[in-house]
Amino acid sequence: MFSSLIPPESLARVGEILAGPITVRIDSREAQRYAQACGDLNPIYFDEKSAQAAGYRTLTIPPLFVTHALVTPKPASTLRVDGLYEDSTSVNLEVARMMFGGEEWDFLEPVCVGDEITGTTRLLDLDQKEGKKGPFVRLVRETTFINQDEEVVARSRQIGIAR
Amino acid sequence: MNEYPDMATVEVGDELPSMDKRAGEAELFLYSAASFNPHRIHYDREYAHYEGHQDIVVHGPLQGSWLTQFVTDWAGPRARLLSVEWQNRASAFVGEKLTFSGSVVSVDQVNGSVELEIYERKEDGSVLMPAKATVKLERV
Repeated sequence: MFSSLIPPESLARVGEILAGPITVRIDSREAQRYAQACGDLNPIYFDEKSAQAAGYRTLTIPPLFVTHALVTPKPASTLRVDGLYEDSTSVNLEVARMMFGGEEWDFLEPVCVGDEITGTTRLLDLDQKEGKKGPFVRLVRETTFINQDEEVVARSRQIGIAR
Repeated sequence: MNEYPDMATVEVGDELPSMDKRAGEAELFLYSAASFNPHRIHYDREYAHYEGHQDIVVHGPLQGSWLTQFVTDWAGPRARLLSVEWQNRASAFVGEKLTFSGSVVSVDQVNGSVELEIYERKEDGSVLMPAKATVKLERV
C-alpha cells in the first residue's frame, strides 16, 4: 500500500515563501572573515586594486558568502539541544530525519562589498521518491538574491533528503 | 604561457591541479563563527558521537566554498563562475585529508564558457561530493 510521507497541507505549501525578503548590506570584514575561515585568500576579496584589475567595481566576495551574509543573529538562549535554532522554514513531513542532499547555484551578476542584497526563500518542490532504502522525500528550497538595482545576482537551490 | 586558462587554449580533458584541504578543530570553529552556525555537531565531539557521527563533522557549506575556491584558483581572477552544483554523499570529519580533483568536460566557444566535472574524495578514494561547475574564461 502506498503511504505518503507528505501531508496534503505541506504539499499545498509548494511555491510559498519560507523566509524573507530580508535585505543586508555586504560588509567587507564579514566577507573577509568568511574567506579566511575557508582558507580562500584570493586577492579579489582582500585587495581593492586586485579586484578592480579583475574587472570588479570594488572588492567582491566568496560566491557562497551571500547566503551567510543574510543570517539573522539570534540569542543563544533560544538554541535547541542540537545547537540549531527552531527552524521557522521547516515543512512538516512524516519522516524521522532530514539530511543535507546538496546545492545548486547560478551566479548571474557579480556581488561586491557595499551592495544591498535581498534574499527570499521559497519552497520550490516537494516530491516523494522510492529509493533503495525505502521511500524518501526530496525537498527543494530556492533562494533568490536581488541587488539594489533589482538585478537577480544569484539563485540557490538547497536539496534536503528526508526519510 | 599564461598563468590561467583561456578560451583559445582550453580543451576537453584538461585537468585542474588537485587541491587538498584538512580542517582541524580551530578551522571548523572559525567557520562556525564566520557563518554564525551554532550546530553542535561542528564543535562538540561527544554530541557528534551521540548523533551517530564518528567525529566532529565538517560543514556542508564549507565544502561548497572549497569547491568554488578549487574552480576560481584554476580559472583566475578575470574568469567568472556561472554555476556550481554538488551532492553530499557522506560526511567529512575533522582532521581528514580531503582532495578536490576535476577536469574540463565541455567547451562552449559561443558563450565562452567551460563545464567542469569535479570530485571531492577522502584519502581512501571514496567520493564525498560529486560536483559540476561552469565558468566563463577570458578570451585572449
